[in-house]
Amino acid sequence: MIILAIAGRELRSIFHTTVGWLVIAGFLLMTGFFWATMVSFYIVQGADLLSNPNAAMQMSLTDHLLAPFFGNTAVVLLMLSPALSMRLFSEEIKQRTLELLLTAPVSTWEIILGKFLGAMGFVGAMLLGTLTVPLSLWLWASPDPGALFGGYLSLGLLAAAVISLGMLFSSLSQNQIVAVVLTFSASLALWILSWVSEDPQALVVQMSLSSHLQDLATGVVRLSDLAYFAGFVGFFLFATQQRVDSTRWR
Amino acid sequence: MAEIQVESLTRRFGTTTAVERVSFTVEKGEIVGFLGPNGAGKSTTMRILTGALGATEGRVLVGGVDVFERPTDAKRIIGYLPEVPPVYTDMTVRAYLRYAARLRRVPDPKGAAEQVMRRVGLEEVAHRLIGHLSKGFKQRVGIAQALVHQPKVLILDEPTSGLDPGQRREIRELIQDLSAGEVTVILSTHVLSEVEALCDRVIIINRGRIVAQDSIEVLARSGRTVVLEVESPDASLTARLSALDGVEGVEADGPRIRVRTARDLRAEIARAAVPAGLLELRAENALEDVFLQLTASEVA
Ligand SMILES: Nc1ncnc2c1ncn2[C@@H]1O[C@H](COP(=O)(O)OP(=O)(O)OP(=O)(O)O)[C@@H](O)[C@H]1O
Ligand SMILES: [Mg+2]
Repeated sequence: MIILAIAGRELRSIFHTTVGWLVIAGFLLMTGFFWATMVSFYIVQGADLLSNPNAAMQMSLTDHLLAPFFGNTAVVLLMLSPALSMRLFSEEIKQRTLELLLTAPVSTWEIILGKFLGAMGFVGAMLLGTLTVPLSLWLWASPDPGALFGGYLSLGLLAAAVISLGMLFSSLSQNQIVAVVLTFSASLALWILSWVSEDPQALVVQMSLSSHLQDLATGVVRLSDLAYFAGFVGFFLFATQQRVDSTRWR
Repeated sequence: MAEIQVESLTRRFGTTTAVERVSFTVEKGEIVGFLGPNGAGKSTTMRILTGALGATEGRVLVGGVDVFERPTDAKRIIGYLPEVPPVYTDMTVRAYLRYAARLRRVPDPKGAAEQVMRRVGLEEVAHRLIGHLSKGFKQRVGIAQALVHQPKVLILDEPTSGLDPGQRREIRELIQDLSAGEVTVILSTHVLSEVEALCDRVIIINRGRIVAQDSIEVLARSGRTVVLEVESPDASLTARLSALDGVEGVEADGPRIRVRTARDLRAEIARAAVPAGLLELRAENALEDVFLQLTASEVA
């Protein structure tokens, strides 16, 4: 219950900021733009292939429309999520409101989970805003519901990873700009890490965020990918908890 | 058993020692004032008592609960007003107090918020954003937040700072009411008259150490200045006063004469001054003398 109270306050307060509205507006604009260009590209491609029935058979909604759409959306989300996590602790340290939480009969875990859920709630609202786009496919085609589910799951997991990472950076500084820059740089580095090696089994590739999203975005849910994100988020939430607790003693 | 028990508390920040081997107890229903110059360690001590900050050494029991070992249980019974009120400027007063009540696990947060707004006089601004309130009202919201869960122990860091004289008086009366209801209060302030009006006992801190702790009467007895006004001041009066046993100094400034004494000599001084036409005799703010004496000596 306390976790929900903290999450609720956090969610409302993001909606009270200009940054929150800019993030949501930017996200919807960009995803809408991507969708429009991809659909028109898909149609042109499909028309070209009409004369070649064999090729047309291979062209699937999942591979040629949904997967690229979710892939592009993931990049937008990667860029925007740090703006949602930057204030989680920095703002409270600066405004001296953290004292309210630290002296309430609430554990550090409850504070951290509450804040994490609050930011994720905002991501949920952003994703909900894009839902009309792929759902409109049903008006004239029958997309694979598994691919839709996998796509949204991949976006949610990516946001969770970036926000957990960002929350740690936010707890390190009362300066939100520092937090957002560090979060963005670190998550971008984790994203492009997979470009370092051709070998999909290489450690750098396995550590990369992007390599664990590829299959999910086409609807293939693999346990190893889920475990990666669970471990990632768990690690950074734990690190944040350690950090917040240690500030009382240093 | 004492409601608050602090044993040999030490807190270092890197190489600076903010609080050094501080020990004291506070009984149930008592109001204790923390006095000390800027940087003395008052806020640091209070932050440790409320669990906001850890200690380097020492032990704190609040209501018999060890604050470091069972922080959550201790925090349930403590209300805390930090030096800067911990208010969210983007919330309305009502929403904020409901949130504060939920954080304190109050069974009926809405009712508790309404009740405390009535008590602290915030009803008229209940619907306003805290960020738009004046400093005094923000301070009151901070006080309301500390009271919303009806704590048994109240720790108030400069509760009346930023308030106008009328509001100060209201908050003083509120604290007295609470104390009558068995709430134990520790407050810090720079206003000595407030301590005199409110506190049963004073703890004077200087450079992280307790330099005195006692009731105001006892403390004030240790240093006194008597100011008199006479009709016809002359050298013989000054001589008579200086000759009194226990007088440490006499300064004459026209009809006004200041007599510094080691103990309460008001009766003797009055008798000596009557021949010169005594018009007025009063003891000057004794606590201030004691405070300045105790906190200045260490600097030398
Ligand atoms: N987080 C911190 N890091 C480093 N030093 C600190 C910290 N907090 C307090 N101090 C130091 O500890 C000492 C005591 O500070 P504290 O705020 O407790 O004083 P205070 O008695 O409340 O003063 P004031 O009357 O000005 O409020 C000061 O020297 C201060 O610089
Ligand atoms: Mg202070």
